[in-house]
Amino acid sequence: MSRILTFLTRRRGHGGRWHWTDVVTWVWLVGGTVLMFGPALWLISSSLKGPAQLAEFPPTLLPYVQEVVTVEGHAQPLPLFTVTLDDGSTRVMAQVRRVGANAQMIDPANPAERLNVPIANRTPVRHVGVATSNYTDPFLAFDFLRYLWNSVFVTTVATLLTLLTNSMAAFALSKYRFRGRDAVLLVIVGTLMVPLSVILVPLYSVVSATGLMNSLWGVILPTIATPTGVFLLRQYMLTIPDDLIEAARMDHASEWQIYWRIILPLTAPALAVLAIFSVVWRWNDFLWPLIVLSRRELYTLQIGLNTYAGELNVQWHYILSMTVVTMIPVVLVFVFLQRFITTGIAGAGVK
Amino acid sequence: MGSISLKGIRKSFGAVDVIHGVDLQIEKGELVVFVGPSGCGKSTLLRLIAGLDRPTSGTIEIDGRDVTQAGAADRGLAMVFQSYALYPHMTVRQNLSFGLENTRMPKAEIAARVAEAGKMLDITELLERRPTQLSGGQRQRVAIGRAIVRNPTAFLLDEPLSNLDAELRGTMRAELAALHDRLATTMIYVTHDQIEAMTLADRIVVLRKGKVEQVDTPLNLFNRPANLFVAGFIGAPNMNFFPTEAEGGTAPLPGGMRLPVAATGPVTLGIRPQHLTLTDAPGGIPAEVTLVEALGAETVLHARTEGGAPLLAVLPGQPGLTRGQSLRLAFDPANLHAFDARGQRIA
Repeated sequence: MSRILTFLTRRRGHGGRWHWTDVVTWVWLVGGTVLMFGPALWLISSSLKGPAQLAEFPPTLLPYVQEVVTVEGHAQPLPLFTVTLDDGSTRVMAQVRRVGANAQMIDPANPAERLNVPIANRTPVRHVGVATSNYTDPFLAFDFLRYLWNSVFVTTVATLLTLLTNSMAAFALSKYRFRGRDAVLLVIVGTLMVPLSVILVPLYSVVSATGLMNSLWGVILPTIATPTGVFLLRQYMLTIPDDLIEAARMDHASEWQIYWRIILPLTAPALAVLAIFSVVWRWNDFLWPLIVLSRRELYTLQIGLNTYAGELNVQWHYILSMTVVTMIPVVLVFVFLQRFITTGIAGAGVK
Repeated sequence: MGSISLKGIRKSFGAVDVIHGVDLQIEKGELVVFVGPSGCGKSTLLRLIAGLDRPTSGTIEIDGRDVTQAGAADRGLAMVFQSYALYPHMTVRQNLSFGLENTRMPKAEIAARVAEAGKMLDITELLERRPTQLSGGQRQRVAIGRAIVRNPTAFLLDEPLSNLDAELRGTMRAELAALHDRLATTMIYVTHDQIEAMTLADRIVVLRKGKVEQVDTPLNLFNRPANLFVAGFIGAPNMNFFPTEAEGGTAPLPGGMRLPVAATGPVTLGIRPQHLTLTDAPGGIPAEVTLVEALGAETVLHARTEGGAPLLAVLPGQPGLTRGQSLRLAFDPANLHAFDARGQRIA
């Protein structure tokens, strides 16, 4: 604890005084933290708010829940408000209904007496709390588990196939010498410059012609070959000494065995990086699955979320809460594999 | 079994010729050392024999079978790499058994062979470790072990000791010699270190610029080098050379002494530093001492002749010389080497 304190209060100026670089560092780091974490924290806190509170302006930082009371003669629980009366005194009353700029209030202890109060004169009684129904309703009404399964299937299968095909391509491009090798690599890396929107229509024709529309395989197959992956793995494989491959050849290893038993295990750090990227890409994919999948039972989570945004009504509270749930796997991947990301990118990028 | 013969081997990388026609016959059970300065093509030649590269022309036969176009795995050879090339993600045991698993050998036999190699090389207690947890010498043993378990027709060793420190190199050299005696398998050993070559080899192949300069036993190379290059390359310190002009069956040395030479025209006379002795008698080569390296058991003398040519002498003991001193160095004419204008040995 004291070491953390020493670390935090360390200054570059003489005698522990502030140096201008200390100020810049703190501003930069605090600003960066707010910038990075702000949206995520806002998302999480908003996902715990009810629909009325989401529409409120100015927005509150924390989620609140309106206090309610059950009054005799009323089927539904009534919301509680603090009412400022004409004589300046305040009372806690329940609202029966709102009519224009006025609200009909009753005293829960004395339900017979009704009072008309301008809405400006009442403030809701509420406490910090969470609207758990944002999270529970979708699981009951919305086919969340089906969408989750589709997403998991697409992500897992696409990632495995990506690792397999990309590493095979990278192996050939890094360890075999053949005419046109550099040209092939150039073409593969060149496709990085072609965005999805450009090839959307031809890709649609291909997928449609091969009968993969409305199939999860139609989402998976077009995405498995990624130029980034091939390039990343190739650069990493270049650092594996050729001696190992020659030793394996002397050891009667077939080319497949060299790939499977020597190259793949040694490329593990770069494979981990690509796996993380692939999981994130496939999990967050929206445009392509939206095009391929039109049957509800095939929707992935991202497409499923889209169904909350109707033409007339956007159910923000559900979108926000399900976005949080959707983020969890990706966040977990990062939490557990982040050391591979830093070491792997450093190792894979430059020799 | 294990005889290897190379016939007219040539190898070019693009427009660059690396090996210019090598003919070589290696007998069964022989330990042949390829030696030469860096870039002489010795490693390339080894790779051609191993099957890791294909020669541009020429044939390679192992036990009378033409293997020129056969793959590395089908030649029955095992190679020890300079970098050891141990599979870093496998334990020592897995490293040793990898090649055997690939030939679909029964598990029990693999285990037996690994155990035997482990015992032979004293690496039994290292079998479950990974290469990164081993010292340089231990990795070297594992690399040799990986070759031994294969029970190959011949071992190919590419500068196997060059990554070790001097002391360990001496020990491993002795162990390799003992191993060769024990296994009696053909070994081809590539090195640039002539001490390794001299101590290990049955025969040495001296290579320069992709050509074989001389093939002979270590002592024959030392005693009767076939040309100037071999004379200068084998032996430490290097042989002293005196370029001179032969006339009427004799050639002069610095200091005016004339020695019989069976040639006329420009010749080079050579005398090894070890064959020079101090003398008080007239004759010999007069010289001035420029540096004295006293090593205790012997003294390396750097001197300059009257003509200004550098001269090296290795004198026994501690003769007590000082810089700037003038002296005379004598030698037995039987130890003189003479080379003609093309650098070839005369008689």
